[in-house]
Amino acid sequence: MKSTSHHFAPRRDILRIGAGGALGLNLPLDKLLAKQAAAKPVGNDKDDVSFIFVFLKGGLSTIDTFDMKPDAPSSVRGPFKSMSTNVPGTRICEYLPKVSRTMDKFSILRSMTHSNAGHGPADHYVITGYHPGPGFNVGLKPNNQHPAMGSLIASRLGPRGGIPPYICLPTMPNSGSSAYLGPDAAPFTIEADPSSPDFAVPDLLPPLAVDSARLDDRRDLMATVDRFRGSVEQQANSGSRELAAFSARATDLMTSLAAREAFDLSREPDKLRDAYGRTTLGQSCLMARRLVEAGTRCVTVEHSNWDTHYYNFRVLHDDLLPKLDLAMSALFTDLADRGILKKTIVVLTGEFGRTPVINKEEGRDHWSRCFSVLLGGGGIEGGRLIGKSDKWASDPAEDPYGPEDLCATVYHLLGIDPRSESLTPDGRPVMATKNGRVINDLLS
Amino acid sequence: MRYFRQPARTALRVAVFLTFLSGLQAVDFLQDVAPALSRYGCNGSSCHGKAEGQNGFKLSVFGSDLDADYAAIVHHSRGRRLMEAAPGMSLFLLKATGEIPHEGGGRFAKGSPGYRLFLDWIKGGVPFLEGEVREAKGLRVEPAERILGQGEGQSLNVFLEYVDGGSKDVTWLAEFHTNDPGLADVDENGLVTIGKTSGKTAVLARYGGHVATFRAIVPQPGEFGQYPALPARNFIDTHIDKGLRDLNIHPAALADEPTFLRRAYLDIAGRIPTASEARAYLADPDRKALVDTLLESPGYVDYASLLWADILRVDSDALGQRDAYAYYRAIHSAIAQNVPLDEFVRKFLTATGPLPENPAGHFHRVNNKPGQTAAMAAQTFLGLRITCAECHQHPYDRWTQEDYYGFQAYFASVSPKALGANQFALLANKPPTAKHPRTGERIVAHPLGETQPEEAASGDQRPELASWMTSPENPWFSRNMANRIWARLLGRGLVEPVDDFRSTNPASHPELLVALADYLVQHNYDGKALIRLITSSHTYQLASTTSPANQNDEKNFSRALFRRLPAEVLMDAVCDATGVPEKFTRSAPGMRAVQLWDSRHEHYFLKLFGRPARVSPCECDRATGASISQALHLMNSPAIEAKLAHAGGLMARLNETFPDDTRLVDELYLTCFARYPTQTEKDQATKYLHRKAAHRQQAVQDLAWSMLNSIEFLFNH
Repeated sequence: MKSTSHHFAPRRDILRIGAGGALGLNLPLDKLLAKQAAAKPVGNDKDDVSFIFVFLKGGLSTIDTFDMKPDAPSSVRGPFKSMSTNVPGTRICEYLPKVSRTMDKFSILRSMTHSNAGHGPADHYVITGYHPGPGFNVGLKPNNQHPAMGSLIASRLGPRGGIPPYICLPTMPNSGSSAYLGPDAAPFTIEADPSSPDFAVPDLLPPLAVDSARLDDRRDLMATVDRFRGSVEQQANSGSRELAAFSARATDLMTSLAAREAFDLSREPDKLRDAYGRTTLGQSCLMARRLVEAGTRCVTVEHSNWDTHYYNFRVLHDDLLPKLDLAMSALFTDLADRGILKKTIVVLTGEFGRTPVINKEEGRDHWSRCFSVLLGGGGIEGGRLIGKSDKWASDPAEDPYGPEDLCATVYHLLGIDPRSESLTPDGRPVMATKNGRVINDLLS
Repeated sequence: MRYFRQPARTALRVAVFLTFLSGLQAVDFLQDVAPALSRYGCNGSSCHGKAEGQNGFKLSVFGSDLDADYAAIVHHSRGRRLMEAAPGMSLFLLKATGEIPHEGGGRFAKGSPGYRLFLDWIKGGVPFLEGEVREAKGLRVEPAERILGQGEGQSLNVFLEYVDGGSKDVTWLAEFHTNDPGLADVDENGLVTIGKTSGKTAVLARYGGHVATFRAIVPQPGEFGQYPALPARNFIDTHIDKGLRDLNIHPAALADEPTFLRRAYLDIAGRIPTASEARAYLADPDRKALVDTLLESPGYVDYASLLWADILRVDSDALGQRDAYAYYRAIHSAIAQNVPLDEFVRKFLTATGPLPENPAGHFHRVNNKPGQTAAMAAQTFLGLRITCAECHQHPYDRWTQEDYYGFQAYFASVSPKALGANQFALLANKPPTAKHPRTGERIVAHPLGETQPEEAASGDQRPELASWMTSPENPWFSRNMANRIWARLLGRGLVEPVDDFRSTNPASHPELLVALADYLVQHNYDGKALIRLITSSHTYQLASTTSPANQNDEKNFSRALFRRLPAEVLMDAVCDATGVPEKFTRSAPGMRAVQLWDSRHEHYFLKLFGRPARVSPCECDRATGASISQALHLMNSPAIEAKLAHAGGLMARLNETFPDDTRLVDELYLTCFARYPTQTEKDQATKYLHRKAAHRQQAVQDLAWSMLNSIEFLFNH
């Protein structure tokens, strides 16, 4: 067991409620810990690898940032200039100066391509590795037909300690859930902005007025009062089955000191918090680092407003790129400084890129045929450029890769065979990716 | 080749194919080759059908533009795709068979029927059309329905039926698709294989834009003893009973009075009964009278208005506070008057004039574009999702772009005009036409699925649209309305999702759906009449108790399903059970959550439990799923704790009013669960209160806390 951060602190009430106890599981803590240890899958020598997935919802304009086309006409290349990075020969956008000095820590895949330029289905494709099929209901929250990467990871590898194995912050992407892998693989979503001064994970602790003796009473009462808890009826109805599973996990979370500390950003030095940027994106990335240190296997950071149909350049320059510059550079530097970059995969992508040709509103529209993805850490070599786009970044020129391949690479780095199968509740085997190929050129 | 690995069946297919060839009909593009392009997946949206094509060869997606497809194959790339002099050397065939590298792999083997079809077409001089178009009227699958055991197989045969009465076997050119992989799988030759689960499902066959379905009924295995027939109180029970018998699923017993009481309150009035209401009903239960009372209660109007406001999109972000409120009031007052559903829909569809006087017209303002309003009208009133057809033929239904733009044209005539003071009037002064995005042709307003009229009618055509929609002959309107009402009461639509009527998404009980729709028509679209009918059925009144014979079923109405209370209803239930109302900002004191008209009202609890933002007309916008955050909130929320501990709240009152523990426990159970406690429950609770007598008030709170966190409270069951 390489992760040692999931100790439980003997704090008054919390411990005495007994993890899972309020829910009729009634397990003493030592038994619960033993159960968790026993539930751990064995034989994965990559058990200490974690995954931070930064999802830029709306679609990052990679032609303006990580795959610039200075020789294209101005109607395509736009007003931004490129700048050199700490990797000789590699240039990125001039408005990402801090990121440019961490270029040696990540690689750019410049030939990502897929066939769907609609937000909902494209999100699903990139987040799960599966293009949605018939009956896909984009409005559902979650809308998963297949599990998100984080859910698959949680399902295959299980929790590391009392902290949830898969966390979304500050919100869950609509395709961020577990589909047929069930509630145990669904993410815990923070539902609060880590950059706000009074940030706290809502309802993590019992109200102060309720002391430990009363928590015990409540636990005991629950076991007798709730006639459906643990019943066949509870299990025979998907809604109550889910609720019971989530309640058990909620109690685990309440009893985990590691989790409570990980959520407490005030334990970080001000200087480091400033380095990440005091923005939702920046503080979410910082919390992501704390969470993987505490045992979470996959943290998805969702950040929106990248759908720059209007005034793409102004919005990028004034708002989005400065936030991204701080957050990504600080994340890579911080992970490296702590010596955990080698064990932490970081992927940054939107659901697609944006049109090579600038539209009438000085914006760029959806473009899934070719865009770039950033990958670093966890066994990915830094400083490389993988794949190539054509002269206007409209199509891959070399080595096209799809979302399946992205997922396969992440799974591979976590010790999950991309072609191994999960079973749906009705016994149907489904592969982790649909024939995804590991992108070997990225690996160190 | 893996595509033809079943020798016996291939032989049959070849035989059929040879018959077809000897039928003296030459192979042409329109009637033979085009369907084959779909059959072999060439024009799929991830292959040559995607917007940019694939490797320089582009087909229209799902064959929506056959002229262009013909040109792409025959003429483009300097005609090098086909070689009439040596047909077998055509690039098209070499690629399709995988003889030269093809990203899509080999689609059919050399010498296979598919190969010979294309070969004969090339040999015949690549005609676009030979002779007259023989007009097809639809597709037929044989068999249409069968009861099959787990692991069994069934070959399907597909026939194209012509208007002239003839038919043609097109099995080998049809595409097959299953709605439930695992329950029934199907290969490309139409061989259905049943998996290891049971239930009902549909396998679809498509050919040339037509769809037909095979329904597989797979009974669950096992011996459960004598089937306990579902007593037939009305036709609903007869249909449900037949479905259960077919599947070897047993119905549950009738629900007891307290269960029915709570369920009826939640389903009809959107709230839990108070302790005194529960006590009164249990002393003198009458299910029919209860339903009648609830249907006339203010709760019915508030709750029904809330659900309609979701799908009609009362969205203050889109409309502004004032107009969103006016729009909501239009819904609320129509429901209060129990306006028949056809009239209700007409009111929104056809609204015109100054909006302050005709607030239902905000229906036409909540979207920016006529296309969005049209799509919303189709989904909300007909249960049809037509937006796929905005850009191409709907891949899973019959809708073409002509259907889509013809429907949109009804709404193109309407636009809001500023009246000053930020007020608007709806004017319908533009022509009811739309432009086909590909051909540029003018498309005249016309109903879905009908041919476009030669002459454009002038003026506002929305009244005609409303008449078409709500006519008893319209196959969607009454079924959609009946299905929505059914789903609200039973927790699941006969068509599911409720607003996704599609030829490829058949109802679980098609005959029942038609019968419910007819009932609605016969009762002049009175929604309350249908609620009375459904709630009086034995099916609605079943217990949620499981048995081995129905514990795996959540789709066939063998027992009442557990349904988590919707966000607003749950919020109100917490307030009612603690006796402390929620104070909503910018709202009058005493306002209940189900009465909130503004979906944008900041509220953590409501958001957490899935209140919809009303950004789409989809019922799915209202989330019903659970999460860790919900569980944490119910256990630890300071807001709920404050209600339990409130000095003027119910727990304090109970503690003072009922020094007798037994009576207090009765009252608490009636309040939270709408029933009296069992003897065991009563003993346990009184023993607990006795033990905690020194802190009785707190003990009552802790008891109530455990009740609020229970499945019995959180779910309608």
